[in-house]
Amino acid sequence: MIALLLRLYPAAWRRRYADEFAAVLEERPLGPFDVADVLLGALDAHLHRRGLWTESGPRKGFAMTLRIGGLAAIVFGLVWAIGLVWASASEPRDQKLPGSLLMIIGQVCLVLAVTGLSAFQARRHGRLIWAAVILPAVGSVLAIAGGIGMLRSPDGPLWFGDSAWDVWALGLMAMLAGSILFAIATWRTKALETRAAALVLLGAIGIVISAMISPIPLLLGLGVMSLGWIWLGIDAIRRDRVVAAVAS
Amino acid sequence: MSPTVPELGRFAEPALLILVSLSDGPKHGYAIMTDVEAGTGKPLGPGTLYAALARLEERGLIEALAPVDRRRPYRLTAVGSTVLSEQLHQLADFAELGLRRLGDAPR
Repeated sequence: MIALLLRLYPAAWRRRYADEFAAVLEERPLGPFDVADVLLGALDAHLHRRGLWTESGPRKGFAMTLRIGGLAAIVFGLVWAIGLVWASASEPRDQKLPGSLLMIIGQVCLVLAVTGLSAFQARRHGRLIWAAVILPAVGSVLAIAGGIGMLRSPDGPLWFGDSAWDVWALGLMAMLAGSILFAIATWRTKALETRAAALVLLGAIGIVISAMISPIPLLLGLGVMSLGWIWLGIDAIRRDRVVAAVAS
Repeated sequence: MSPTVPELGRFAEPALLILVSLSDGPKHGYAIMTDVEAGTGKPLGPGTLYAALARLEERGLIEALAPVDRRRPYRLTAVGSTVLSEQLHQLADFAELGLRRLGDAPR
């Protein structure tokens, strides 16, 4: 993994920094935050080498901050549940498109959120956090494929005989499982507001239970989980701003 | 005119944190990361760390020392020390102004 990440940097950069950079990467388990940060660092090194920054002009750079993950968490909390309710309640089928688009935006934001907010959690619960990122990423692909399939034909076979709805529901469950794992890691590390993590956990479990046996209103679970993600996002941005305000 | 931390654009924030970390002596990359994280409670990714280190080195604010077991320590240069001192005094003046306006300044 480390050798692969190093290969992404320009050769000139590697000649100068590769040894010490590899030593830093070997010091602790790499989480999704670290990998994303290294990918952005490699992109920055390529852009820098090509002289896209000038001494007089504004320099653009990339820094994987809590802000990106926090903003993505807020957007997910705001749009995904609304999209789900909108798409579920809309008839005929062609009116489901706006809701489905909101859900797709939300799904992408969830992957960005768990990646951006996972730095401290990954250092103590590396496997948990990788699962919390990979599950929503795979779930998003399935949910998007299933969602597009449902717009065309909800009950028709889409994938290995499963209907579009089945694929979408599988993706949804993977996303919820990722949220649950991320909430557990956050609760245990106390890296972000633990009450927000508890809301994400309870909301996601509530959605899963309501989907299986329906004793809990689905809307309540959606609302609680969304509120939890928005709270986590606001908390991350607040923590980031305290440092940024001092440093800039 | 000597280079200042804000000229580093979006890397000004990690750059200042790195300079502060090096202000009590040379440190290698991982030690800087853990020091910044312990001091701010905010993660500093390895990609961001080395993007900022490269810029600081280019501008002569820090210099690399001989590596020890693949770990290369960095230390502040005289220019880096001056720039950091100016930045921190500006921040202190600004903080004092804000606290005075809040009626919370130390008497």
